[in-house]
Amino acid sequence: MEFMPEEEVKDEKEISEDANSKVYELGYLLVPTIPEEDVPAVYGNLKELVSSLGGVAISDEMPKKIPLAYAMLKVAANVREKFNTAYFGWSKFTMDSDKILELKKKLDLDPKLIRFLLLKTVKENTIAAKRFVRGEMHKRPVMRKNGDSGAVVPINKEEIDKEIDALIAV
Amino acid sequence: MKQDYFSANNIKYIDYKDIEILKRFLNPSGKIMSHKRTGVTSKNQRALANAIKHARFLGLLPFVVK
Repeated sequence: MEFMPEEEVKDEKEISEDANSKVYELGYLLVPTIPEEDVPAVYGNLKELVSSLGGVAISDEMPKKIPLAYAMLKVAANVREKFNTAYFGWSKFTMDSDKILELKKKLDLDPKLIRFLLLKTVKENTIAAKRFVRGEMHKRPVMRKNGDSGAVVPINKEEIDKEIDALIAV
Repeated sequence: MKQDYFSANNIKYIDYKDIEILKRFLNPSGKIMSHKRTGVTSKNQRALANAIKHARFLGLLPFVVK
Protein backbone atom coordinates (compact mmCIF):
# COMPACT_ATOMS: atom_id res chain seq x y z
CA MET A 1 0.00 0.00 0.00
CA GLU A 2 2.91 2.34 0.67
CA PHE A 3 4.06 2.18 -2.92
CA MET A 4 0.73 3.13 -4.37
CA PRO A 5 0.66 6.83 -3.39
CA GLU A 6 4.21 7.38 -4.70
CA GLU A 7 3.34 6.00 -8.10
CA GLU A 8 0.24 8.11 -8.25
CA VAL A 9 2.23 11.24 -7.51
CA LYS A 10 4.66 10.41 -10.32
CA ASP A 11 1.81 9.90 -12.74
CA GLU A 12 0.33 13.23 -11.81
CA LYS A 13 3.63 14.95 -12.48
CA GLU A 14 3.93 13.35 -15.88
CA ILE A 15 0.39 14.35 -16.73
CA SER A 16 0.98 17.94 -15.66
CA GLU A 17 4.13 18.11 -17.83
CA ASP A 18 2.24 16.71 -20.78
CA ALA A 19 -0.60 19.13 -20.24
CA ASN A 20 1.84 22.02 -20.17
CA SER A 21 3.57 21.10 -23.45
CA LYS A 22 1.32 21.54 -26.43
CA VAL A 23 1.60 20.88 -30.12
CA TYR A 24 2.30 24.03 -32.11
CA GLU A 25 2.85 24.76 -35.73
CA LEU A 26 5.01 27.55 -37.06
CA GLY A 27 4.35 28.62 -40.64
CA TYR A 28 6.65 31.33 -41.99
CA LEU A 29 7.59 33.30 -45.07
CA LEU A 30 11.28 34.00 -45.65
CA VAL A 31 12.51 37.04 -47.53
CA PRO A 32 13.10 36.12 -51.23
CA THR A 33 16.38 38.06 -51.29
CA ILE A 34 18.10 35.08 -49.60
CA PRO A 35 19.97 33.07 -52.26
CA GLU A 36 18.66 29.52 -52.66
CA GLU A 37 21.88 27.95 -51.36
CA ASP A 38 21.47 29.75 -48.02
CA VAL A 39 17.88 28.67 -47.44
CA PRO A 40 18.81 25.35 -45.74
CA ALA A 41 21.07 27.27 -43.34
CA VAL A 42 18.27 29.69 -42.38
CA TYR A 43 15.92 26.73 -42.02
CA GLY A 44 18.48 25.02 -39.75
CA ASN A 45 18.77 28.16 -37.62
CA LEU A 46 15.01 28.28 -37.11
CA LYS A 47 15.00 24.62 -36.08
CA GLU A 48 17.80 25.29 -33.63
CA LEU A 49 15.89 28.24 -32.18
CA VAL A 50 12.87 26.00 -31.60
CA SER A 51 14.91 23.23 -29.99
CA SER A 52 16.87 25.73 -27.85
CA LEU A 53 13.56 26.68 -26.20
CA GLY A 54 12.77 23.05 -25.43
CA GLY A 55 10.75 22.32 -28.55
CA VAL A 56 10.64 18.77 -29.90
CA ALA A 57 10.12 18.63 -33.66
CA ILE A 58 7.32 16.42 -34.99
CA SER A 59 7.33 17.16 -38.69
CA ASP A 60 8.34 19.98 -41.02
CA GLU A 61 8.86 21.02 -44.59
CA MET A 62 11.79 22.81 -46.23
CA PRO A 63 11.05 26.40 -47.28
CA LYS A 64 9.98 26.48 -50.92
CA LYS A 65 9.73 29.48 -53.18
CA ILE A 66 6.09 30.35 -53.83
CA PRO A 67 4.37 33.27 -55.55
CA LEU A 68 2.40 35.29 -53.02
CA ALA A 69 -1.31 35.85 -53.60
CA TYR A 70 -0.79 39.57 -52.97
CA ALA A 71 2.14 41.94 -52.47
CA MET A 72 3.43 42.12 -48.91
CA LEU A 73 5.23 45.03 -47.31
CA LYS A 74 8.01 44.81 -44.77
CA VAL A 75 9.79 47.74 -43.22
CA ALA A 76 13.40 46.84 -42.43
CA ALA A 77 15.90 49.51 -41.34
CA ASN A 78 13.49 52.28 -42.40
CA VAL A 79 13.25 50.87 -45.93
CA ARG A 80 9.88 49.77 -47.26
CA GLU A 81 10.23 46.59 -49.25
CA LYS A 82 7.56 44.97 -51.39
CA PHE A 83 7.56 41.23 -51.98
CA ASN A 84 5.69 39.18 -54.56
CA THR A 85 7.47 35.90 -53.89
CA ALA A 86 8.73 34.27 -50.71
CA TYR A 87 10.04 31.01 -49.31
CA PHE A 88 7.21 29.29 -47.46
CA GLY A 89 8.05 26.65 -44.85
CA TRP A 90 6.47 25.20 -41.76
CA SER A 91 7.35 23.02 -38.80
CA LYS A 92 5.33 21.24 -36.17
CA PHE A 93 6.68 20.77 -32.67
CA THR A 94 5.72 20.32 -29.04
CA MET A 95 6.71 23.04 -26.62
CA ASP A 96 5.85 24.30 -23.16
CA SER A 97 3.09 26.86 -23.35
CA ASP A 98 5.13 29.38 -21.32
CA LYS A 99 8.07 29.20 -23.77
CA ILE A 100 5.98 29.98 -26.83
CA LEU A 101 5.85 33.69 -26.01
CA GLU A 102 9.65 33.79 -25.89
CA LEU A 103 9.75 32.11 -29.29
CA LYS A 104 7.31 34.67 -30.68
CA LYS A 105 9.41 37.57 -29.35
CA LYS A 106 12.54 36.14 -30.95
CA LEU A 107 10.81 35.55 -34.26
CA ASP A 108 9.44 39.10 -34.22
CA LEU A 109 13.03 40.40 -34.31
CA ASP A 110 14.17 38.13 -37.15
CA PRO A 111 14.88 40.25 -40.24
CA LYS A 112 14.72 37.23 -42.56
CA LEU A 113 11.05 36.58 -41.89
CA ILE A 114 8.37 38.53 -43.73
CA ARG A 115 5.58 37.00 -41.65
CA PHE A 116 4.99 34.01 -39.45
CA LEU A 117 2.01 32.23 -37.96
CA LEU A 118 2.05 30.32 -34.67
CA LEU A 119 -0.89 27.97 -34.23
CA LYS A 120 -2.00 25.30 -31.82
CA THR A 121 -2.55 22.13 -33.78
CA VAL A 122 -2.82 18.34 -33.50
CA LYS A 123 -0.04 15.77 -33.57
CA GLU A 124 -1.47 13.79 -36.47
CA ASN A 125 -0.41 14.56 -40.00
CA THR A 126 -3.19 16.77 -41.28
CA ILE A 127 -2.21 16.80 -44.95
CA ALA A 128 -1.74 13.07 -45.68
CA ALA A 129 -5.39 12.28 -45.03
CA LYS A 130 -6.43 14.94 -47.49
CA ARG A 131 -4.11 13.73 -50.24
CA PHE A 132 -5.93 10.44 -50.03
CA VAL A 133 -9.16 12.29 -50.65
CA ARG A 134 -7.68 14.11 -53.61
CA GLY A 135 -6.63 10.78 -55.14
CA GLU A 136 -10.22 9.62 -54.98
CA MET A 137 -11.46 12.82 -56.53
CA HIS A 138 -8.99 12.53 -59.40
CA LYS A 139 -9.80 8.94 -60.24
CA ARG A 140 -13.22 9.61 -61.73
CA PRO A 141 -12.23 12.10 -64.45
CA VAL A 142 -9.18 9.97 -65.39
CA MET A 143 -11.38 6.95 -66.01
CA ARG A 144 -13.64 8.94 -68.32
CA LYS A 145 -10.71 10.43 -70.23
CA ASN A 146 -9.19 7.00 -70.85
CA GLY A 147 -12.41 5.75 -72.36
CA ASP A 148 -12.77 8.74 -74.71
CA SER A 149 -9.16 9.52 -75.62
CA GLY A 150 -8.69 6.72 -78.20
CA ALA A 151 -11.52 7.93 -80.42
CA VAL A 152 -11.14 11.68 -79.90
CA VAL A 153 -7.42 12.33 -80.50
CA PRO A 154 -7.17 11.73 -84.31
CA ILE A 155 -10.28 13.84 -85.01
CA ASN A 156 -9.02 16.62 -82.76
CA LYS A 157 -5.94 17.40 -84.86
CA GLU A 158 -7.94 18.07 -88.01
CA GLU A 159 -10.51 20.07 -86.11
CA ILE A 160 -7.80 22.16 -84.48
CA ASP A 161 -6.20 22.83 -87.89
CA LYS A 162 -9.54 23.97 -89.26
CA GLU A 163 -10.17 26.17 -86.25
CA ILE A 164 -6.74 27.76 -86.58
CA ASP A 165 -7.34 28.40 -90.31
CA ALA A 166 -10.67 29.97 -89.48
CA LEU A 167 -9.06 32.19 -86.86
CA ILE A 168 -6.29 33.30 -89.22
CA ALA A 169 -8.85 34.09 -91.93
CA VAL A 170 -10.72 36.37 -89.52
CA MET B 1 -22.82 19.50 -52.46
CA LYS B 2 -25.56 18.56 -50.04
CA GLN B 3 -23.49 16.61 -47.54
CA ASP B 4 -20.70 18.08 -45.46
CA TYR B 5 -17.47 17.71 -47.48
CA PHE B 6 -15.22 17.32 -44.45
CA SER B 7 -17.17 14.63 -42.63
CA ALA B 8 -17.81 12.81 -45.91
CA ASN B 9 -14.06 12.64 -46.54
CA ASN B 10 -13.17 11.99 -42.90
CA ILE B 11 -11.20 15.22 -42.44
CA LYS B 12 -10.97 16.01 -38.75
CA TYR B 13 -8.57 18.93 -38.82
CA ILE B 14 -8.86 21.55 -41.54
CA ASP B 15 -5.32 22.61 -42.40
CA TYR B 16 -4.55 26.11 -43.66
CA LYS B 17 -1.77 24.71 -45.90
CA ASP B 18 -4.12 22.55 -47.95
CA ILE B 19 -5.00 25.23 -50.47
CA GLU B 20 -6.56 22.87 -53.01
CA ILE B 21 -9.32 21.98 -50.58
CA LEU B 22 -9.77 25.51 -49.28
CA LYS B 23 -10.12 26.87 -52.83
CA ARG B 24 -13.29 24.83 -53.33
CA PHE B 25 -14.97 27.00 -50.76
CA LEU B 26 -14.06 30.35 -52.31
CA ASN B 27 -16.20 32.07 -54.92
CA PRO B 28 -14.57 33.57 -58.05
CA SER B 29 -13.84 36.84 -56.29
CA GLY B 30 -12.15 35.09 -53.37
CA LYS B 31 -14.91 35.34 -50.78
CA ILE B 32 -15.77 32.44 -48.50
CA MET B 33 -18.91 30.66 -49.72
CA SER B 34 -21.94 30.34 -47.48
CA HIS B 35 -22.56 27.03 -45.75
CA LYS B 36 -26.03 27.12 -47.26
CA ARG B 37 -24.41 26.75 -50.66
CA THR B 38 -21.77 24.16 -49.75
CA GLY B 39 -23.60 22.11 -47.09
CA VAL B 40 -20.71 22.35 -44.60
CA THR B 41 -21.77 21.93 -40.96
CA SER B 42 -21.62 24.97 -38.70
CA LYS B 43 -18.71 23.55 -36.73
CA ASN B 44 -16.68 22.82 -39.84
CA GLN B 45 -17.66 26.15 -41.40
CA ARG B 46 -16.08 27.97 -38.46
CA ALA B 47 -12.90 25.89 -38.70
CA LEU B 48 -12.85 26.36 -42.47
CA ALA B 49 -13.20 30.14 -42.14
CA ASN B 50 -10.25 30.20 -39.72
CA ALA B 51 -8.14 28.03 -42.02
CA ILE B 52 -8.88 30.28 -45.01
CA LYS B 53 -8.03 33.38 -43.01
CA HIS B 54 -4.71 31.88 -41.89
CA ALA B 55 -3.90 30.93 -45.48
CA ARG B 56 -4.72 34.48 -46.59
CA PHE B 57 -2.41 35.94 -43.96
CA LEU B 58 0.50 33.87 -45.26
CA GLY B 59 -0.21 34.80 -48.88
CA LEU B 60 -1.32 31.30 -49.90
CA LEU B 61 -4.80 32.54 -50.81
CA PRO B 62 -5.87 35.99 -51.98
CA PHE B 63 -8.03 38.37 -49.97
CA VAL B 64 -9.61 39.66 -53.19
CA VAL B 65 -9.42 38.44 -56.76
CA LYS B 66 -9.56 41.45 -59.03
